[in-house]
Amino acid sequence: MRISRVLALTLALVMMASVAFAGPSYDRIMKDKKIRIGIMTDSIPGAFFNDKGEWVGFDYDVATELSKRLGVDIERVKVNNKTRIAFIQQGRIDASVANMTHTREREKSIDFSITYFFDGQKVLAKTGKYQSLADMKDKKIATMQGTTSEINVKRALKAMGVANPAAHVISFQKESECFQALQMGRVAGWSTDATILLGYASKTPGKFELVGEFLSDEPYGIGLPQNDSNLRNAVNASLQDMWRDGTYMTIYNKWYGADTPFAMPMSGSIELWP
Amino acid sequence: MLRYWLEKVWVQNTVLAVLGIISLYYWGWVFDFGYDFQWPILFTVNDTYQLNFGVEILNGLWLTVKITLISSIIGISLGTALGLARLSDFKPLNWTATCIVEFFRNTPLLVILFFFYFAFPQALPEAGRELLFETQFEFWTATFAVGIYTSAFMAEVIRAGLQSIPKGLLEAAYSSGLSYVQVLRKIILPLAFREIIPPLGSEFLNNMKNTSLAMVVGVADLTWQAQQVEALTFKGFEATTAASVLYLSFSLVIAFVINGVDGRIRSSSNGKNSLPVMFINLLLIPINFVNKILFHPAAQFLRQRRRKNMQAGVTTNTSQLLLKKLYTVLVLISKGAFLLILAGLVFSLAKGFYNFDWSVILKELPTMLVWQFPNATGDDLFMGLGGFSLSFIIAIVAIFASFFIGLIVGLGRSSTNRIFRIPSLIYIELIRGNPLIIVIYWVYFLIPVLFDSFINTVWSAAIALTLFTAAYLAEIVRGGIQNIPPGQVEAAVSSGLSYWQTMRKIILPQALKQMIPPIVGLFIAIFKDTSLVTVLGVMELTSVTKALDNRLMIASMELWTTAAVLYFLPCLLMSKYAKHLERKLSPEQINLKM
Repeated sequence: MRISRVLALTLALVMMASVAFAGPSYDRIMKDKKIRIGIMTDSIPGAFFNDKGEWVGFDYDVATELSKRLGVDIERVKVNNKTRIAFIQQGRIDASVANMTHTREREKSIDFSITYFFDGQKVLAKTGKYQSLADMKDKKIATMQGTTSEINVKRALKAMGVANPAAHVISFQKESECFQALQMGRVAGWSTDATILLGYASKTPGKFELVGEFLSDEPYGIGLPQNDSNLRNAVNASLQDMWRDGTYMTIYNKWYGADTPFAMPMSGSIELWP
Repeated sequence: MLRYWLEKVWVQNTVLAVLGIISLYYWGWVFDFGYDFQWPILFTVNDTYQLNFGVEILNGLWLTVKITLISSIIGISLGTALGLARLSDFKPLNWTATCIVEFFRNTPLLVILFFFYFAFPQALPEAGRELLFETQFEFWTATFAVGIYTSAFMAEVIRAGLQSIPKGLLEAAYSSGLSYVQVLRKIILPLAFREIIPPLGSEFLNNMKNTSLAMVVGVADLTWQAQQVEALTFKGFEATTAASVLYLSFSLVIAFVINGVDGRIRSSSNGKNSLPVMFINLLLIPINFVNKILFHPAAQFLRQRRRKNMQAGVTTNTSQLLLKKLYTVLVLISKGAFLLILAGLVFSLAKGFYNFDWSVILKELPTMLVWQFPNATGDDLFMGLGGFSLSFIIAIVAIFASFFIGLIVGLGRSSTNRIFRIPSLIYIELIRGNPLIIVIYWVYFLIPVLFDSFINTVWSAAIALTLFTAAYLAEIVRGGIQNIPPGQVEAAVSSGLSYWQTMRKIILPQALKQMIPPIVGLFIAIFKDTSLVTVLGVMELTSVTKALDNRLMIASMELWTTAAVLYFLPCLLMSKYAKHLERKLSPEQINLKM
């Protein structure tokens, strides 16, 4: 008797917990007056903790500005390159501003805003040692697992005639691990988005440099839940407004301006709808 | 009435089958997962990447098998050496072995792997580093790190096994005139091995599961490949399922072999061999054959010569005496050499510490201890506590929760009623057959899918750790209960106590007392295992150290050493406490000289 009661209770609990709560994110954001945005914690200067323990960075500022334009409060959720897409899929966050390249494969799982940042993939190597990726095709290259850079490097190596590109690429879980591998000489180069590389190279001035051409374009988009066009439109409009009234460039120059360690000239313009 | 029916095996079987069918039906057809299952990604070629992920996952499995085999060999050989060294009379050797064992037992494997991969090559000269990097450095680092880590645990198992031999047996052996080597070969090792095989077997299994961490240094093992599939296709559920099934099968194979070895060593004379034993016997046929042809005659010849010598009476000639002297001198020299090497090591260690940038440690230590407290942002639990404190909180939550689950599942596992026993068994084996990291991913992917809701990654991590630990605790509980003499249960039942009364008043109080030392050992493991939840981005000690390392970049050695010490100290204190308890609970235990 007792057992059956326990079983019935458990089943009932399980069913109750599975009552769907998700709905269009936009309606919920506007109702609760709160948007949950995923931001990275160790991507310099995208979003990171500075030496005072404050969370700062370009993405951080863009996310803050975005919530302001939407007229809602922001709840910042820490994500990494592993969790940022899963969190959107699960409804854990409403948007992810986490230097995420807009790709067709990702488009199958989540939606993206218009491109809000223009980056490209390069290779970082010890100063004066190599001219381009072709010079290090017999050596090892570090990348981060599960990123577009990993695939791009393998493709580039294959195009250069490397028989087994996978054997020449070591994929780590974190950017810092890639950089450490480069520092200790385990790999000849580390390839990922140029801004990230610049951030790391600036830590030890003169020791490392970007080599070769861009391996790819990396248009960054804000990750959004699938099929919620209200939210996507609102985010896109906010980004365009930021660009139009100059707020975007203010934020950009704060992190990538000429007098910053990560100086990078602006190389594109946000898609503006009339 | 209900109890009468529940005691019948066919009723139990039917209930289980009905429950199984109902849940299969419910989860398979009724329940809306809100998740788009795409199993074909596991066996078709992906258009975007031109890869067959199934093949990639199998490649990962092959690498896992290789790492497991090699690291097992390293583990058992180094473990035997360390275990014997810990029983040695030569104090410096004894202490060194103790230090090594304690260090590896009380530091997370993740931290050790980072150390071996990132810090160790820095200590080598440029040329040595080049030479090292010519090899498959990632593979060998992972293999050695896992092997050495395992060896520390094996050393303890082996030492305990050697010490478990009754003192009387040894006295009898020595007084009957056997030499030390003979006693070791004929009495100690055979007896000890019988004791050691089951715990050694679980160490082999742990070793296999530990190899899953090789991915953090970029080794494309099974876990890495599963992650890769998830990262490229966002189909984590399918990828983790595939990895899980493969890990489980591999665990079962290892368990099968260990069972065979165990059965063979217990030399079942009743003529009925179990399947695993027959398998091992089959494997041993060629070895036996070679042994018969090559070594058998040699051994017989030697034995005959020894017998003749013995019959000839005791004669010692000068050459033998000389040899004995030479041996003593040799031992002395090797002891001296050992001391010299030790002194050199201590010196370079001290020099390394002297050259540390201590100001960095001093400045960042508060951050490592509490992270952002009290500057909580958004999704932070516990007022923004992180780093060491968060590791500690997660460990404590997991310890408390897992204790109750473990107790219930353990009771279920030792129950005679199949309705309780079989689900408990499935739970235990499912969890124990998988690496913790896979369990973490399971909880992480499964909770949103099952409950259509999300939870904070901290809770997700705590739940995973709890479920994982509970399975191990359940096995400890079962062992504790089985150690109580059956006569006590019979006496209790015949004096009219019910099952719960028997358990509560007779069995559990005694069993729990026996279980305290292994349970404390488990708690040490949980605290160390919190380092793994860093894969979910939880800001515990390992993540914080990584974040700091990421920001400073110039003080990796200092930061990782500090992290290792922060893990090591609480674990050491707990293990010392466990030792103390063990001694207190069994005062008759005497350490014997071997």
